[in-house]
Amino acid sequence: MSEQVEEKAGGVVPPATHARALPALRGLATPPMRAAGIALVLLAAVLFPPLIHNDGDIDAMANALSFAALALGLNIVVGFAGLLDLGYAAFFAIGAYAYGALASWQLHPAWSGFWQPFAWLGLVAQVNGSVHFQVSFWLMLPIAAAIAATFGILFGAPTLRLKGDYLAIVTLGFGEIVPIVARNWPTVTNGAQGLNGVLPPQLFGYDFGVSATPYYYVGLALVAFLMFASQRLKVSRVGRAWMAIREDEIAAAAMGVNRVRYKLLAFAIGAAFAGATGTLYVAKLQTATPEMFMFPVSVMILVMVVFGGMGNVWGVVVGALILQLLQSWFLQDLSGWVNAFGRLVDIGWLQHVQLVSSIELIFGIILVVMMLYRREGLIPATRRVAALSLEQQSAAVARGGFAGLESLGGVDERCAGPLLDIDNLTVRFGGLVALRGVSLAVPAYGVVAVIGPNGSGKSTLFNAVTGLVRSDDGQIHFAGRQITGRPPHVVLERGIARTFQNIRLFPNLTVMENVLIGMHARLHTGALGALVRLPPTAREERAARERAIEILAVFGNRLLPRVDHVVSSLSYANRRRVEIARALASRPRLLLLDEPTAGMNPAETLELADQIKSLARRGLSIVLIEHKLDVVVNLAETVVVLDHGEKIAEGSPAAVRQDPEVIRAYLGRSAAVL
Amino acid sequence: MVDYTVLLQQVINGVSLGAMYALLAIGFTLVYGILELINFAHFNVFMIGSFFGMWALEALGLSGQSQVLTGLALAGALAFAFAIAMLGSGVLGVAIERIALRPLRGIPGTTGMITTIGVSYILFNVILLAAGADAKNFPNPLPTRRWQVAGAVIDLREVLIWGIALVLMVGLQLFVSRTRLGKAMRATAQDAEAARMMGVDVDRVVVAAFFLGSALAGAAALIFGLYYNYTSFLIGYTAGLRAFTAAVLGGIGSVTGAMVGGLIIGLIETLGGQLIAVRWTDVIIFSILVLVLVFVPSGLFGRAAPTKS
Repeated sequence: MSEQVEEKAGGVVPPATHARALPALRGLATPPMRAAGIALVLLAAVLFPPLIHNDGDIDAMANALSFAALALGLNIVVGFAGLLDLGYAAFFAIGAYAYGALASWQLHPAWSGFWQPFAWLGLVAQVNGSVHFQVSFWLMLPIAAAIAATFGILFGAPTLRLKGDYLAIVTLGFGEIVPIVARNWPTVTNGAQGLNGVLPPQLFGYDFGVSATPYYYVGLALVAFLMFASQRLKVSRVGRAWMAIREDEIAAAAMGVNRVRYKLLAFAIGAAFAGATGTLYVAKLQTATPEMFMFPVSVMILVMVVFGGMGNVWGVVVGALILQLLQSWFLQDLSGWVNAFGRLVDIGWLQHVQLVSSIELIFGIILVVMMLYRREGLIPATRRVAALSLEQQSAAVARGGFAGLESLGGVDERCAGPLLDIDNLTVRFGGLVALRGVSLAVPAYGVVAVIGPNGSGKSTLFNAVTGLVRSDDGQIHFAGRQITGRPPHVVLERGIARTFQNIRLFPNLTVMENVLIGMHARLHTGALGALVRLPPTAREERAARERAIEILAVFGNRLLPRVDHVVSSLSYANRRRVEIARALASRPRLLLLDEPTAGMNPAETLELADQIKSLARRGLSIVLIEHKLDVVVNLAETVVVLDHGEKIAEGSPAAVRQDPEVIRAYLGRSAAVL
Repeated sequence: MVDYTVLLQQVINGVSLGAMYALLAIGFTLVYGILELINFAHFNVFMIGSFFGMWALEALGLSGQSQVLTGLALAGALAFAFAIAMLGSGVLGVAIERIALRPLRGIPGTTGMITTIGVSYILFNVILLAAGADAKNFPNPLPTRRWQVAGAVIDLREVLIWGIALVLMVGLQLFVSRTRLGKAMRATAQDAEAARMMGVDVDRVVVAAFFLGSALAGAAALIFGLYYNYTSFLIGYTAGLRAFTAAVLGGIGSVTGAMVGGLIIGLIETLGGQLIAVRWTDVIIFSILVLVLVFVPSGLFGRAAPTKS
């Protein structure tokens, strides 16, 4: 076996220039065909009102655009970040009431000098001795978005620790509470009757009034902007962090994503979309009642997102438009036809049936059918990629370790004393002591192997170091700094990256995206930066993608032809490689590998062992958990043996092999006596 | 000054409502315990259960509240109505599991829950289209018989509700603790994979959980009808959410928890309405839901915390 492998040595390492042609690098720029398509859609949308010239249809379209905007907002929360929000209409309500209350006669405190500065700014007016709020619609769009975003954070914060369906229930609770508060707080909301006489927007002296066309254009501009924003966020560091959380929260944290921050950011941005849309919706209707924001509205927006395709920006817009227009155009027409048919054939109930009222039945059927048969929606978020050629598929097994490792960089920093210093670490799970007073020092440039029978606490050791489980006692220092009890993303930022025993990649993301998420802590783009995308941001993103290709290239042609493949489609061994590449992408100084060769055949194991060795030669310190003893002997300078949570031996591989305690732990007492 | 007679009366009412919520909450808890699925369809299985009960009573020629039965006739009519409501709901629950949920079993995330929302919508609208939007006068053959207790009134209706709820809950506890299938259910709730390896037919256990939970929802629905003398396509949502809150409060997955939680929610509803204001009842109940989930996610009796490990 190994002879065969040797023959192919000298490996195939494609030059980085070849990589530039790969589609993963094109991610940023919009291809011309696509740009032309977008321009055409936009042109059609702009010409729609003068061409149709029917106020009812334009009105329906304007409403549909509002719901498309809502669907885009929910898509950020549900589609990107994977946080199921069943009370999303609450933020719609908050935006709506914010504008409604500040641009109507609802609030009318007595006039006093306090209000004078606001009057100069044109926000209020003095009418018959009381204050009349008349805040401009255009000003309220961002303000309502900001107010809703604040509530997004407020409502999101309690849900952070909860798992999927419970998070949904809490959001449902908030979604119920907001309309009830609106109903029971008549001073601000006029209760169940709703707000009246909300001011229509004005633009350069032109009053929007009740005609649908200007609202249509504002809605169109809003949807276009939100689509642009969603798309920009999606292909940025921020969007990748969200998707990482959606795919695997634990792995996301271990790869440097601050879960609290990014979840709250998703809630805030999603809520901001709804807040701005609420303002537009109320300005158009010039009224707001609690019934407009109840649970069925939240579900309707969810159906739009599910129907269109969670996570796909165009998908959710198309989904929202189809469902809204189905409701306002098609079902009405269909009811008309059915009624006419009923009159023709003289059947009573056919003459009166109202199909519009069955829209919720259709929503229910759509939800069930989509979940059963097409969970990815009308337009799936991940596009399929072309199959690999036979040549691309045939892996050249490379011995001798990584080539092109120069590109890793950032690993040869010196520090005094051990790089990782674990002192008297104890972890308890209820009554079970998983680790009992374990001490361990990993020198810089060292390779330490941790071995031990199943359940001896090896993975718990990794989890404690990387902040995934809380230690009950003891200290962990990394490069001289305390990391005990620090959250996983901080540990990664400090320079410790890991892989998992049972591979925790982000299964529905591509190889490229997985590696880019590994770089999260080393990149800087924030939400605003991603939205504006100034040249430095674009440069950072481009450089990150190029670096990702370089890192993938060290695995020869194992991963390069597959950069745009979804990782769940990869072989087991390739997934292990992607996980290592992802860890390397974070520029670690210490790499924790949890059974890296598990499930690999002997040739692949040898290949990977060489590669790990070459990482160590490049100055990376490594701790690995491994069951294959030949790998351990080959790689490690020091072997640490754990049994029942305690360290029973430490030393060179040869010394540990002879240790009677170790033999007893592995083979039982009688074997040790022999 | 608080009028204690009124409070006592509200406690009596609260226990009746609580018994209803408890029966409904058991359905959430059984399914969650085994599949870790929050079943929104349960809301409207309950709603349809009340229609089954109503149709059963109407089939006996009863309508409105004026036709009163006594003795054996009353017992027979009620037994028939409960049997139909429970059987109908039970079969409906099993059908939902079989058609919409079984194909999705094992898919992680919120897929199952979203599907149950869809199913709930379908049930809701089918009844809306079939029976119309108006509230239905629910037949109630119970004679008026009242007892004075410390100034408060206990109606025959209350006694009956308490009795039936008690019998059903004790029956369920016996079933779960004594029978083979009940033991299989508990084993599956602990560890489905291990139970499967030890020869438990998990599909059968899931069907049993859906049937029992839905049947108890049918009983709760008939109690709803007898208590309020009406039903409508709308009743599922509010009652369902309150019962769900009860299940969470008691500790989702725990049958005892569902019973205790139901009682507490019933009392909060009536006493809260009395002491604070009816229009804030829902806010109180949803706040409890949120607070329990956030701060004591395992509830009063729960073992599995619904937070991430």
